[in-house]
Amino acid sequence: MDIFIRSASQISFQQPLDMQWLTAPIFPSVAFNPPLEPDYKQFVSPVESRRMGHLLKRAVAVSLDALRKGDCSMPDAVISGTGLGCIENTEKFLNAVIDNEEECLPPTPFMQSTHNTVSSQIALKLQCHGYNSTYSHRGTSFDSALLDAVIQIQLGQIGSALVGGYDEMTPAYFRMLNKLGYWRTDEASDVDSLQKSGRVGSISGSSAVSLLLTSSPSSEKLCQLYGIEAFSCFEKNQLPAIYHDFLLKYGIVEADIDAVMCGFSGDDSNDEMYRYFVAECCPQSDVLWYKHLFGESFCASAFGVYAAACCLHQQKVPTHLYYMKERKRDKIRKILVFNCFQNIDGSLILLSL
Amino acid sequence: MEQLIEELKREIIEVLNLEGMKPEDIDENAPLFGEGLGLDSIDALELIVLMEKNYGIKLQNANEGKEIFKSVRVMAEYIKEHRTK
Repeated sequence: MDIFIRSASQISFQQPLDMQWLTAPIFPSVAFNPPLEPDYKQFVSPVESRRMGHLLKRAVAVSLDALRKGDCSMPDAVISGTGLGCIENTEKFLNAVIDNEEECLPPTPFMQSTHNTVSSQIALKLQCHGYNSTYSHRGTSFDSALLDAVIQIQLGQIGSALVGGYDEMTPAYFRMLNKLGYWRTDEASDVDSLQKSGRVGSISGSSAVSLLLTSSPSSEKLCQLYGIEAFSCFEKNQLPAIYHDFLLKYGIVEADIDAVMCGFSGDDSNDEMYRYFVAECCPQSDVLWYKHLFGESFCASAFGVYAAACCLHQQKVPTHLYYMKERKRDKIRKILVFNCFQNIDGSLILLSL
Repeated sequence: MEQLIEELKREIIEVLNLEGMKPEDIDENAPLFGEGLGLDSIDALELIVLMEKNYGIKLQNANEGKEIFKSVRVMAEYIKEHRTK
C-alpha cells in the first residue's frame, strides 16, 4: 500500500509554520537557539493555552497547521515521538518538590510532565478518539512513531495519521548538557565550523514537526513515504548489509537514490557514522544535512524527513542543504534519510516523488 | 480585607496563569467556578495548594472547598480567619 506525506509543519529557530528556510534560512551563530514562536492565539484560545507549556503549544500549533495544509479535519490516529516530553513542566515540578520540601506540589506541571501529554493534548484539541500513542526512544523517538504509523496504515487499521516529533531545550537542560560537553562554544557554532572535522559538540534546537500521513494519494501531497526501517544495537561494519537489505526490500538500487539526508551535527563522535555510511553505502548520492538549520535534539530526525519532503515537493535542493557533492540533476526522485543515535540506534527512511 | 482580596486576585492570576487578566478584571463577588472565572476541578487543586503554601491552611474536607471557593471575597474571609502564616 502506498503511503504519502500530504502536508507538514514545523516550529524551530527558522521562521515558524513556514518554508522560508528553503530560500531565506536563519543560520545560528550561538549554541543555544530557542525557537521562534508563532502567534498561538490563532490555534488555541488563552483559556485553553493557560495550562500548556511551550512544547504543548508548539505541538498543537504544528498539528493544526499540518491538518489545515493537508485539508484534513480529523486524522485517524495521533502518534508522537518525544525524547523527554514536556521537560519544562518536569523542571517546574521537580523545582517545586525541592523548594516546597515535598509539600504543596502544583498539579498542572505534574500532569504535564509525562511524555504522553503531547499526543493526548493534540487528540483532546482535535477531539480525536482514534489510535493515540507516544514513543520515547531517545534519538529514534520520531522514527519509531513514523514506523508505527506506517505499520498501522499497511495493516489497514487507519487511513491517516498525524505523526510528530516534539522536544524542547530549556536553559537549565542546556546548561546541564553543556557541562557534559554536548554543545559548541558560541564562537564555534557557525556553519563553517560545524563542517570542520575534529570538533566536539553541536548546536542545540527544539523540535516541533508534524506530518500528515495518508494512504490516499492527493495532488497536494508533499511526497511518498516509500520505505522505512529501524534498527538497534548494530556495529558499524553491519551498516552496508543493513543498507543493501533495505534496497532489496524496496526493490531499488543505489543509483535510484538521488540524495541522502544525514544527521551531521558537527560533533565528530556523531558524524563519524554518517561519513562511514556515505563512503561505504552511497558514494554516488548527493549528501545533505539539516541540523545546522534546526539544531540537535532527540527528535531532530523529524526535521530531516520534513526537509527531504519539502525538497522533493519543491523539486529543488537549496545550496545550503548540501553537506558535500552538489550535482546538477534534472529531477529529484528519491531522498534517503539516515538517522543514527549515538551509534546504537538508527533508521532509514526513503521518500519518493 | 480589601488588601487581602487584592493580593489573592494577583496570586490566582499567577498560579492559574490567567494570561492578559488584571486584578481589576476579577469581580470578587462573582462565582469562581461555572460562571464568573469559569474555573474547573484542576484549578480547584491549584487553589488548595495556594491556600496551603501561602497561608498555611490545609483543607481536610473536600466538601469545604465548595463553600470556600464560592468567590474571591468568601475565600479571602476564610483565609483571614484561618491563616497560620
